[in-house]
Amino acid sequence: MTNVFFDQIHVCDPSSGFDRIASVLVKDGVIADIGAPQKIGPAPKDAEIIKADQAVLAPGLVDMRVQSRNPGYAHQESPSSLAQAAAAGGITSMVCLPNTNPVLDNPDSLAVLMAKNHIADQDGSASPKIYAYGAATTGLDDQAMAELGLLAEAGAVGFTNATKPIADSLIMRRIMDYAAMLDKPVIQHAEDLSLARDGEMNESENSTRLGLRGIPAEAEEIMVARDLALARLTGCRYHVAHISTARAIDLIRQAKADGLSVTCDTAPPYFALNDIAVMSYDTRFRLSPPLRSEEDREAVLAGIADGTIDCIASDHAPQDRDSKLLPFGVAATGASALETLLPLVMGLYHQGVIPLMRVFELTSSVPATLLDLEGGALSVGAAADLVVVAPDRGWQIRGDAFYSLSHSTPFEGQPVQGKVISTWVNGQMIYKDGA
Amino acid sequence: MSSDPVSKSGIATAPTVSAAEMKRRIKNARDPQLFASLDGHHLLGIEGMKRPVIESLLDRANQFADLPKGEVLTHLKGKTVFNLFFENSTRTRVSFDLAARKIGASVVNVPVSTSSIKKGESLLDTATTLNAMHPDILVIRHQNSGASLLLSRHVDASVVNAGDGRHEHPTQALLDALTIKRRLGEIAGLKIAICGDIANSRVARSNIHLLATLGAEIRLVSPATLLPRGIEDMGIATHHDMMEGIDGVDIVMLLRLQTERMQGTETPSQREFFHLFGLNAEKLASAAPNALIMHPGPMNRGVEIDSALADDHERSLITMQVDMGVAVRMACLEAVAAQLDQKKGS
Repeated sequence: MTNVFFDQIHVCDPSSGFDRIASVLVKDGVIADIGAPQKIGPAPKDAEIIKADQAVLAPGLVDMRVQSRNPGYAHQESPSSLAQAAAAGGITSMVCLPNTNPVLDNPDSLAVLMAKNHIADQDGSASPKIYAYGAATTGLDDQAMAELGLLAEAGAVGFTNATKPIADSLIMRRIMDYAAMLDKPVIQHAEDLSLARDGEMNESENSTRLGLRGIPAEAEEIMVARDLALARLTGCRYHVAHISTARAIDLIRQAKADGLSVTCDTAPPYFALNDIAVMSYDTRFRLSPPLRSEEDREAVLAGIADGTIDCIASDHAPQDRDSKLLPFGVAATGASALETLLPLVMGLYHQGVIPLMRVFELTSSVPATLLDLEGGALSVGAAADLVVVAPDRGWQIRGDAFYSLSHSTPFEGQPVQGKVISTWVNGQMIYKDGA
Repeated sequence: MSSDPVSKSGIATAPTVSAAEMKRRIKNARDPQLFASLDGHHLLGIEGMKRPVIESLLDRANQFADLPKGEVLTHLKGKTVFNLFFENSTRTRVSFDLAARKIGASVVNVPVSTSSIKKGESLLDTATTLNAMHPDILVIRHQNSGASLLLSRHVDASVVNAGDGRHEHPTQALLDALTIKRRLGEIAGLKIAICGDIANSRVARSNIHLLATLGAEIRLVSPATLLPRGIEDMGIATHHDMMEGIDGVDIVMLLRLQTERMQGTETPSQREFFHLFGLNAEKLASAAPNALIMHPGPMNRGVEIDSALADDHERSLITMQVDMGVAVRMACLEAVAAQLDQKKGS
């Protein structure tokens, strides 16, 4: 394996707070040395030398919410398109939802998926690391607890009903009890489905104008409130996925203050867009949870700024073209998001909402810590899962240029700053800008 | 405000019209200079439509309403109108059909619900297929809000929205306005109560936009469960008490209880709805003297309206609304066809 020497580059390591010009030596896929250029000295003769002015070297992104579509839905995303899209997005580890076909509700399916991390691809090249949540309930149908113990042994990093909530309170209580025993988090799509029934967009004056059925913000608030009561009861590590409403964020803030083991993430649409975007009935804006009000969007920004929101995931939900070419209310929810996560979070840095280091905390070190994954740190001995990014470089998001098979993005045409220059997994370059 | 309801009813042309006057009317009806003007070649909704556009459509429709009953115009000869009704409808479909024929267009009623075309999923497949047959105008009714806009982005023809989900039903609002104008003269300054199932009603939305644009004072009367969130932010007064809501109004506009779009929890029973929100003589007494009643149809007698009131021709404009529907749709079809020609010519 070739050794790699990053020569005098701006290093940002959120796990240690290291934030200065340094040189980094990668040997045999792990970080062998890191420090001031004069301390590290010149590059070893056998090393490939990487120089990048005005770029930042950071731990590769750890994306904790990805719908892989594999196995089962390769027309929406294939294993290779998923890997390429993640690599282009600077993502070196991704955690997949269990809503595949078959559902990841048994250790065998999970083991097949996870095994890919341990075998090199046929041509010897590396690809982003894949992890998965186990299904919280068998078949994700919210009726019976899945084999959580066996799933944990097979490598499940947490449990979830994927894009649906664990709705039944007794089942949620038992899953939380069990997950606490296994020391795994429960990841919840927080939505009271009986309140949100048949909803097509956020309930507001806009839904009234458009004649679309509303999903009130209270559907999220109610589910988070119930779950926090159960988390208090069971001591379970509880994590709200793609949080989107002001009141739910307030509940999390209070629960944290009360000392509960509670965390949450959001996704870029919820801090960058609001439900006015839906006014054109453009199905690129059909997401779950729905785009919320401006007040909610501001609360998400505040939650990111004050740390109530722990991390940001892509919420990658690739859909085929046909399922988006439908009237808004019956179109599929979700967007292709792996390739836009980093620049959109970088936008928060450019807007002055967060410092640069926090970009990598939100997208790399914190999710890695929450789910106990390798990655998210530039420490000697750690796997060299890295991203080199030019924080200021501008480009324009264009869905048809995505590696992902799904080209539907709510950020179509948007100019952004922050370009991935290269992505590295176990010391191997898996993506190079312009290559 | 209304003087002699019979002479202004518009249901029958007044018998005193001279032959010369009738000739003038027919000449006007054929005059391309008098076509209504639209901002584009589709007619998708009232929201955002400017007052002069609405008025030109109403003026043009008013000319058509004055034509002798048997008069058939030919200036849309060679144009093809496809009726694409994904939801069942009798009166709107027949009305569009008749309107198109009366201005000389040929009409194809595409049998959506009985053919291989499935609902929803294949709207754009249908559009692609039909587009290849080069229709000039597609009239679409669909159960999903925004469906007509979606269709308009994928076809070359003009698209006329004949009702999309709970969003808009622009020709219904136009025919309601024409009915009011012909009966009462002016819309500006009228007090109009729109009553019943606002949440599920596209008729309510289109009427709110149109009547507000023309300067009417609108009130909504509805149970809390059928009043959509944030409608007050659109600047409209809302009431839960029927007597209070229709107090002093010139027009009580009733809506059909959209049971097919309801989720089962909006009203406890039809009996209770009629008791609280159904219009009967007693409640109507709180409206202005000689207040008029409108309903887009089809009526649920004994639910939104007492059956006897519905048939009271002194008060009820319900059959006149149906009559005006044809004239309004003639004006709309003619206007979108003219815009499409202009677009193709430019």
